[in-house]
Amino acid sequence: MTAAASGDGLGRRLEQYLSSLWDDDVRVANLARIPGGASRETYRFDAETRGGIRGLILRRDPVGSLIDTDRRVEFLAYQSFHGRVPVPEPVTLEEEGGPLQRPFFIMQRIDGGAPASPFGPSPYGEHSGAIGEALFTFLGRIACADPASLPLARCCAPPVPGACWSSALDEWEAIILRDERHPQPIVRAAMRRLRRNPPPPARRVSVVHGDYRSGNFLHDGNGKIIAILDWEMVHFGDPLEDLAWCCDPLWNHFDPSRVAGTISEEQAIAIWERESGLKVDAEALKWWKLFSAVKGQAIWTTAAKEFTVDNGNLALAISGFYPPRRHDRIMADALERLVEEGWR
Amino acid sequence: MTPTVPELLVGCATALSAQPNAEDAGLYTATRLRTVATLNVLIAQESAVGSAVRLWENSALRSLLGAGGKYGQEFADARSIGDGDCSLATLDEANARLRRLLIRLHEAVEAAGDQKLDREILALYRQMAERRELKLPAARPAT
Repeated sequence: MTAAASGDGLGRRLEQYLSSLWDDDVRVANLARIPGGASRETYRFDAETRGGIRGLILRRDPVGSLIDTDRRVEFLAYQSFHGRVPVPEPVTLEEEGGPLQRPFFIMQRIDGGAPASPFGPSPYGEHSGAIGEALFTFLGRIACADPASLPLARCCAPPVPGACWSSALDEWEAIILRDERHPQPIVRAAMRRLRRNPPPPARRVSVVHGDYRSGNFLHDGNGKIIAILDWEMVHFGDPLEDLAWCCDPLWNHFDPSRVAGTISEEQAIAIWERESGLKVDAEALKWWKLFSAVKGQAIWTTAAKEFTVDNGNLALAISGFYPPRRHDRIMADALERLVEEGWR
Repeated sequence: MTPTVPELLVGCATALSAQPNAEDAGLYTATRLRTVATLNVLIAQESAVGSAVRLWENSALRSLLGAGGKYGQEFADARSIGDGDCSLATLDEANARLRRLLIRLHEAVEAAGDQKLDREILALYRQMAERRELKLPAARPAT
């Protein structure tokens, strides 16, 4: 499809914007919306320039969203990790949104791969070992990057190691209390228990991707991860937050023996420790695992609330309907287990 | 609360009847149709067992709140919260009142260090979550 055939003039707006940005006569072709994350509208397109064709991705703010996030932070995350782990090269950021009606950024498109559906069985088949090795290797590399040296440091202040857990819990608890439509006793009990049984200070304050899991990376179908995506919840904090989130049973593709549908948790931790240079504190990881279910419940609670406003948004509908029931189950099981193990 | 069955069905209808932009054709529309199909499978489950699950949960909550009568009369009085005409809407209304009481009771139980009742509440949480869980339609694994 050429830009001229585009429904709401998005293609023409893109052509005008990129022509001005690059001082070139840019033609936009093959503009197509893709299901790339629930927090931004995502489009793929080709930009035809005098120098050749560039495959690009547009990420534009939606009208309603799964969770409010700052596109500048996401853009700086791509800048921070391009070249360190497989992420697309960021191209341009517009925070005012005038040229395309809403704020947006554009990045390089990485072709030749697809994300797994997070709720399908055995998504990586015979390549699950290779995918697991890469997934936790890249996560370890993210954890060992020095936050102060990254572009992200321009917009985020790292918390002190002892405050990583409380700032994370404060943030998500506030969202649950703000957006809850129906009383949720299980997550309330989990939040109280997390406060009574705090983890030790973070061994290192690192970049936390925020949504690092199966379904948020592209793989080539042959065991290679070609792009880590969906950095919209990136922040500084305890790197165990990402490790626990990636190991959350919600993302295990219905196979409790493997994390993220890939390898065993023991293997995942060993790879992560080797790559990050950090030792996982088992008690701290237990805290961050329960926290993961609370954080998930906050995201689903917001999705359910936003769905009442943006009733045709099916990403919000399914996010507000299916995962909160599973996270309640995960939390309830964890609470019983942790109390058996001595949590107050 | 997760979206209600009527809200979800209206959402599916709204999404399907919306005039698509040209750039929505292809993968985005295919994914949207798959999501409608998945949602309808989940809605069918909720419609089939939703009333029974809520009736069970409300009854279990009344029973447990009654056992917490020593922490306040409001908990003992929970037995007077009825299920109305047993429609999903009235069951949810009663459920919200009972759950609010359970949150307060659990806070009181934790503050008192009452381990026996604490574990009973945690066991009830597990049963509540188990009964409310939804099952996704089986998808084909990758080869």
